[in-house]
Amino acid sequence: MALADAVPASENHWIPSTCGMCLHGCGIKVLVRDGIALKIEGDETNPDNLGKLCPKGNAGISRLYDSHRVLTPLKRTNPEKGVDVDPKWVPISWEEAYEITARELRRVRQDDPRKLLCALGDFQRILFWGWPAVFGSPNFFTSLGNYCGGSYHPVNGSVDGSFAAINDYERCNYWIQIGSGDGFSSHLHLSGSAKRMADARMRGMKVVTLDPRCSVAAAKADEWIPTLPGTDRAFVLGMAHVLLHELKQYDREFLRDRTNAPYLVKSDGYLLRHQDGRAMVWDSARNAAQPWDEVPPEAMALEGTFQYEAQRVSTGFEVWKQLLADHTPERMGEICTVLPATIRRIAREFVEAAQIGRTIEIDGKTYPFRPAALNYYRGSQSHANGLFDNLAYKMFNMLVGNIDVPGGHLGVPLDHRGFFISEGEDGVLKPEPHQLHPAPGFKYPPDSTHLMEWFPIGFDAGQLNTETLLHPERFGLNYRPEAMLIYHSNPLWNMPETDKVEQIMRGMKFVVAIDIQHTESTQWADIFLPDRTFLESTLLNCLEPPVVTGHSLRQPVVEPLGDTKDAYDILTDLAERIGFRDDWNDLLNIVCGFTAKPQYLLDPERRYSDTELWDRYARSIYGEDHGLDWFKQHGHAVRPRSPEETFLPFGKLRIPFYFEFIKRTGEQMRKNLQQAGVPDWPLDNYQALPFWKSSQVIDDGSLGYDFYAITFKESLHTFADTLVMPWLSEVSEKDAIHGGILVNSATAGEFKISTGDRIRLSSPSGKIEGRAQVIEGIHPQVLGVSNAITRRVVSNPRVKQKGSHFNRLLSGSMRYTDSATGGLESTARVRVEKLS
Amino acid sequence: MPAVEVAALGAARKLLGFSRSQLLVENGTVGDLLQQLKTLDGRTLYEHMVCEGRLRGDFAVVVDGLSLKADGLGKRLLGGEQVVTMAILRHLHGG
Repeated sequence: MALADAVPASENHWIPSTCGMCLHGCGIKVLVRDGIALKIEGDETNPDNLGKLCPKGNAGISRLYDSHRVLTPLKRTNPEKGVDVDPKWVPISWEEAYEITARELRRVRQDDPRKLLCALGDFQRILFWGWPAVFGSPNFFTSLGNYCGGSYHPVNGSVDGSFAAINDYERCNYWIQIGSGDGFSSHLHLSGSAKRMADARMRGMKVVTLDPRCSVAAAKADEWIPTLPGTDRAFVLGMAHVLLHELKQYDREFLRDRTNAPYLVKSDGYLLRHQDGRAMVWDSARNAAQPWDEVPPEAMALEGTFQYEAQRVSTGFEVWKQLLADHTPERMGEICTVLPATIRRIAREFVEAAQIGRTIEIDGKTYPFRPAALNYYRGSQSHANGLFDNLAYKMFNMLVGNIDVPGGHLGVPLDHRGFFISEGEDGVLKPEPHQLHPAPGFKYPPDSTHLMEWFPIGFDAGQLNTETLLHPERFGLNYRPEAMLIYHSNPLWNMPETDKVEQIMRGMKFVVAIDIQHTESTQWADIFLPDRTFLESTLLNCLEPPVVTGHSLRQPVVEPLGDTKDAYDILTDLAERIGFRDDWNDLLNIVCGFTAKPQYLLDPERRYSDTELWDRYARSIYGEDHGLDWFKQHGHAVRPRSPEETFLPFGKLRIPFYFEFIKRTGEQMRKNLQQAGVPDWPLDNYQALPFWKSSQVIDDGSLGYDFYAITFKESLHTFADTLVMPWLSEVSEKDAIHGGILVNSATAGEFKISTGDRIRLSSPSGKIEGRAQVIEGIHPQVLGVSNAITRRVVSNPRVKQKGSHFNRLLSGSMRYTDSATGGLESTARVRVEKLS
Repeated sequence: MPAVEVAALGAARKLLGFSRSQLLVENGTVGDLLQQLKTLDGRTLYEHMVCEGRLRGDFAVVVDGLSLKADGLGKRLLGGEQVVTMAILRHLHGG
C-alpha cells in the first residue's frame, strides 16, 4: 500500500513545489501531515518531468530532516584552522552572527572590496550570484561550472544563442552520445529526459555511446565505443573527414543558406571583406567575389578556392574541408583507440540516418527533417582543448544540417527568456558566449583573481585561483583576498589541487559560510549562517529546460526547522548592515528583468521580503494575475516549448560555421597582453576552426604516466554534495562502481591487482589511494573514480568514508586550462601502483 | 506631451541623486534626455554615459523594455516612455 493511502485522507496535504536536489528543479508534490513532510513524488501535471523523479528527488526529505543539519548560527571558537581541525562551534544568535560578519566584511569593503573571495553555488538561486558584485568584489572561487560547461556554454551561445543543447528526443532516430548522461543518468532535467529517452528507444531510436567507461548511457546503448579521455574529438573529426572526403555527403543547402560557410577566407585566416566592410562570397553566376548580401543564396559557392585580385581565397567550408584532409580514420583512430572501420561505419550510418534533403510538416509549417544527431557534455569536452571539442561536435552536426531542426541537435535556452538572438556582423547571429554576465573587458593588472578579464569569450575559470592567489605577482595582481564568502559551495572538495586550496584558505582572516550543513570548506569558517532547505523556502525556478519553458514554484511545505533563515534574507540582511542594500535592490532589478517593466522595479530604499520579491518576479513575467498566490495554487507555469520556440530560432540569420570572431578575439588579446607587458600567455586556442591537436594531459603520457584517470557521476548524486545523505549514500554503497577505483580486468592482470587491493594513482599534480574495483566495463588504459566514492567531512556516521578524492589528481594551472574559454581539464594522466 | 518616466539604478542613481523621476522631453531624443539629467557633480548624465556619441559599454539605457544599442541615442521620445538608466555590473558571476 502506498504511504499516501495509509494516512487518513482528511489529514493529507499534497503541496506542489519544486525539487532542489539539483539545479534543474523537477516539479514535485509533497505529502504533508500534521506539519511533517512524509513523501515526495513527481508532479505529473508538470510537463518537464512528467511525474518522474530521480533518486535525489525521492531522498529530498532526508535532507530536510537530516539530524546533522545546522539549525542555528554558529561561531568558531578554535582559532586554529586546518583539515580535520575541530572548529569547536558554539551556537550564537543571528544578531551576534550578523554583527561579527558585517563588521568584518565592512572592514574589507572599506579597505578594498576585491579582497573578498566568493565561492558561489546553489544554481537555483543564480539571481543572487550578483551579491559579490554589488559588494564590489569581482572574485569568484568555485569550480562547479568549469568542470562541466566552461567551454560548452560559450560555444552554444555563439552558435545559436542557446545555453545548452540536446538531441530531439521526439524525432531523432540515430543518437550519438559522447561523454554525457543525457537521457540516462545526468545532465539536463534527468527525470523527464529518461522517460523521453526510453520512449525514443521503444520506437526504435538507435544509440551509439562513446565513453571510456561503460556508463549507464553506454550499457543501455545499441553500441558502446570505448575511447581514451580527451580524444573523442579525434573520433568526430575522423567522421567529418569521411563525410567530407570519402562519402562526400553533407547538407549543402543548410551550410550554404543558413551558415557563413560560403564566406570567403583569406590566407591570413580572416574573412575577405569588401571595402565597406561586408564579408564577401563567391558568386558562381558571375564568377566573382561579391558582398554576401548581394548574392542570392543559390549562387553562393559553398566549396572552392578562387583567385581574388592578387590573392587566393577559399570558402570557410573549403578551409575546414582541407584542414581535415589528413584527419583520416586511420590517423584519428590511432589517437582515440577506435578501429578506422568503426569510425567509417558510424559516419555512414549517421549521415544515412540524417536523411539529408527531407522535410517534415509540423503544425502547418515545413521544416528540414534530420533525425540523426550527436549529443555531448562534460566527459567529451571538459578538457584543455574544450573549445575545439565543442566546435568540432557542433560543426559535425552542422554537416548534416541538423542544428535546431526536427530530429536534430536542438539548442536549450538558459531560461524562460529563450534564445539570445540578435543580428551580428554580415547577417550572422551575434555570438553570445556570455549569458550569465557581461564580458568584462581586458584589464591589466586584472581585477579578478580568476583573471576573468583575460577570457573575453570564456566563463569564470575559478580553478586559476590555485595559481594566482599563491603567486599573485606573476599575474600583476596587486592585492590578496583576506576574507571569504562560502555560499553553498565547497571549493575544498570541488577544486583541483586541494592542497593549494588549503593554503589559500589558510591565508583568510575571516570566512563566513551560508549553507545547510557542514562541508570540507565550511569547516574553515568563522561564522556559519544556516540557510533553509528547498522544502522550507521560496523561489521560482526555470533553468536549462530541454523541451519545456516556464517557471516552477518552490514553496515551504513545512515550517522551517530550527533557527534558520532563507538565503535571500541572509544576503539582504548582510547588504543592509554592510551598507549597500540600495545597490542590492538595484542588482535584483537588473537580474530579475524588472528594468524591462519598470512598474516592478524595487525601491532602493525599501526592504522587501523573499515572497514580495518572487511575487513581483512572477507578475513581471506572467502578468498581474499570475503572482505568487497563483503559483501556490497551480504549482507551475511550465508548458511544452512550441515548434516556433524550438526550431530555427535564428530565423533568417546565418549561424557561424567559420568562427572568425574567435580568431579576432585572440588577436586582440595578443595586442592587449603585449601592450600590458604580459609574456607567454597562451593564446593558441583562439582559432576559427577545430582540428586535432594534442594537450598537456595527453603529452603527460610521455613522462611515464601511462594511464588516464577520470571521474564520473550517476543520477544518485549532485556533484559531491548529496553524498553525505545517508539514503543516497547507502544506495551508492550497494553499487560496485562506487565502491573503489575502477580498473579494467586486463590492466588488473598486468599489475596483479584484485578487487579490494589498495592501489595508488599518482598524477603530475597529486596522489590518491583507494581500493581497486576490477571490472570489464572500462577502457584498459583508464581508471575510473566515482564522484560518489567519499567525502572527508561527513557529520552523519552512517555515511562511510572510502578515500580516493579524485580532484587531487587535477591541476588548476593554465597548462591544463583551455586558453580561450578557461575550461578546466577534468582528466589526469596517472601511474598505478599496487600497495597491498 | 506626456512626461517620460525615468528610473536610475546603481551608479546612475548615485550620480543623479534619485531613483525615479518624470521629465518632459519636447520632441527630443534619448540623447537629449540624458543631457537634461543633471548629476550631483554639476555635469549631465550624458557626459557620464556617452563617449564620442555612443553609449559607453559600462552603461545601459532601456526604453520601454528594449535595451538601447550603443548608437541608438538618436531614438526619438514621444512622451510616456519608461526609461531606465543604469551602470553595467562587470563582475556578475557564472559557472
